[in-house]
Amino acid sequence: MSTEFDVCVVGSGAGAGPVVRELARAGHSVVVLEKGPWLTEDDYYKDELACCRRAAYTPDLEDEQHVIEERDRDGGWLGTPTSESGWSFWNGNVVGGSSNFMSGFFYRLKPEDFRLRSAFGPIEGANVVDWPIGYDDLEPFYTKVESVVGVSGRVTPHPHQEPRSTEDFPFPPTREHPVAGMVDAACEDQGLHPLPTPRAILSRPHDGRRGCEYSGYCGSYGCATGAKGGARAALLNHAVASGNCTIRPHAKVHRLVSDARGRVVAAEYFDAEGKNRSVTARVFVVACQAIETSRLLLASPGPRHPEGLGNNHGQVGRNLLFSAGGSGTGDLVFDRLDPDLAESLRQRGPFVNRGLQDWYFIDDPALGGRVKGGTIDFLLSHPNPIARAMGEKWEDGWLVWGKSLKQRLKSVFTDAQYLRFEVFNDWLPNDDCFVSLDRDVKDRWGSPVANVRIGHHDHDLRVGRFLAERAAGVLEAMGAANIRYGVSGAPPSNLVAGGCRFGTDPKGAVLDPDCRVFDAPNCFVTDGSFMPTGGSVPYTWTIYANAFRVAEVIKREV
Amino acid sequence: MRESNPLDGPAMDRRTFLMLLAGAAAARPLDLLAERRAALGDTGIEADPWRTLDAVFEHMFPAEADSPGSRDIRAIPYLQGMLAAPDMAPADRAFVTDGVGWLNDLARERHGEDFPALGAEARETILRQVERSRAGERWLSMLLDHLIEALLADPVYGGNPGGIGWEWLAHQPGFPRPPAEKRYFELGRPVAHRTRA
Repeated sequence: MSTEFDVCVVGSGAGAGPVVRELARAGHSVVVLEKGPWLTEDDYYKDELACCRRAAYTPDLEDEQHVIEERDRDGGWLGTPTSESGWSFWNGNVVGGSSNFMSGFFYRLKPEDFRLRSAFGPIEGANVVDWPIGYDDLEPFYTKVESVVGVSGRVTPHPHQEPRSTEDFPFPPTREHPVAGMVDAACEDQGLHPLPTPRAILSRPHDGRRGCEYSGYCGSYGCATGAKGGARAALLNHAVASGNCTIRPHAKVHRLVSDARGRVVAAEYFDAEGKNRSVTARVFVVACQAIETSRLLLASPGPRHPEGLGNNHGQVGRNLLFSAGGSGTGDLVFDRLDPDLAESLRQRGPFVNRGLQDWYFIDDPALGGRVKGGTIDFLLSHPNPIARAMGEKWEDGWLVWGKSLKQRLKSVFTDAQYLRFEVFNDWLPNDDCFVSLDRDVKDRWGSPVANVRIGHHDHDLRVGRFLAERAAGVLEAMGAANIRYGVSGAPPSNLVAGGCRFGTDPKGAVLDPDCRVFDAPNCFVTDGSFMPTGGSVPYTWTIYANAFRVAEVIKREV
Repeated sequence: MRESNPLDGPAMDRRTFLMLLAGAAAARPLDLLAERRAALGDTGIEADPWRTLDAVFEHMFPAEADSPGSRDIRAIPYLQGMLAAPDMAPADRAFVTDGVGWLNDLARERHGEDFPALGAEARETILRQVERSRAGERWLSMLLDHLIEALLADPVYGGNPGGIGWEWLAHQPGFPRPPAEKRYFELGRPVAHRTRA
């Protein structure tokens, strides 16, 4: 049967970019269906209203939302539509997806992350399994990401450094804020091993992209220089330049149509005018970010897939992952510091770029022996001025205005620099964290929205607190005041994976080890959905690497 | 839990608001500082709801010798721009103006005069009274949000002229800064805001 395209990719973010680039450059015709608009460097400015106050890059929650199920007081589950709570689970619905807005903290997984079950044994109430591939299978693709997407950094020995096939990063670290020196000194005093955080940010021009210009507004913002290694700037542009890639923005895929053999034959989508259209291709790739990928499969039943595509064993949507952990802050009060140091700390632009992986594995009686730990990252508190000012709007439940508001603003903006830390540890997969189709709430096209149950495992909180206490200890050693931190089971909606596990047994997985949907042999899932366990780092580098790996499989088949 | 307040009832609020609108033509001449008012240019501030909103903003963010006030940061023009923005829900737009009705109704009831005619102490008392109702708190909170945005959002949106708010707080803005044709509501959303109404 002739098809319009060789490959149809649903979504255009980190899971899509490598596949699109590799297939288009290999001479195959590729169409990308992206729900959002096609914004470029010409559209991204340092505009807090656009990125963060008005959510210009994500849907209006009245139009498209989720229903979030949280545990209620009686131990049941209570669903709340996000249009009521305001708790958006969208992360960037534009060409290039949320990778346009990431901070680009790039860490690899470690060999043990691929075999958590074997290395640490089972945990009651958690569905921990080994991956069907090992670190060695992914290592060449981590390395490929370093050069193709562009990762800057410097390999620094520490107790849990993962093996590498190359000596060092292809790009030197980005420029560093003076506070990095303070972090280093405090860590080294405690015998820790601070390492420069690898970043998917070009420290010098490369491949038609400019190097970072250090505006100081990176995470949450689109990059105006092309230095940030989002999927659009780093990968899709290559694909389009090949002449083999068509990107269709404003194309909201709502169903994958499969035939009597189980193969996907078409993707149906609504265009900007709301007209239902369809695209045929030989191979389909789904990469809509974890929650929406599970939703699309569940919304796509067919003759061989009566319960949804790839859902013959009821696995689609299960074992959704977020990142466990939390964050904290300490104030570096200018009055208490040497005046020259204080002045240097006021600057904005360069990155702090300091991480700690000394506790990636923890052997401590308080946690019952050797357990999986996580990563700590240090950064300046977000520069968004409106957000900072909004923190001064309430006091004891009452609004603050008049001279007291002005005094509070003056103080919070000019008295101190705020050093934050973030803790990343495993979100244990469990039976109370999954995606289903909501029975009541629909999106603006009339399709059921994703219902997301967000139960966590208490083990995550114990590990998160252990790490947060250590990070707070570093802030204390730096002389920070007013140190506060929080670790909770509330998921960070921007760090999401799982829902379509890969594995060898179709009864316990949605995808085979090549990330091919079981029973739908021409359909692949290449976003973070494939991950059976999450590791204790942000997901993007692993998503990129795995998508490059799967692209090699697809290349052999089209 | 806050105690409820007779102002917190939509039907009565709407009726009160309409009555107030009918009486607006007979409003007293403004007794606010003429030169300050002149600085506002063509913002139509003499008429409500702007006249009252301007008085609320001045109370919430007073000018001082070493710091800008609500007029210096062009809080009213900013609010006008945002209420006219394509993504502003009509219900929210109406809520801002409705609140002016509630506020002046309460001011007349307690002090016999509209809010702008009151002194600082009476203004504070009235606004804290309004805050005790859920709707009143929401209304004041929305105004504070816009005030803070007028202080710190990019000047392209009509507030923070010349970066006066950034300068006051020694805040270093990011670059590049948005040109008018790239304001957030110009970025090519496929569908304009859909409302519940």
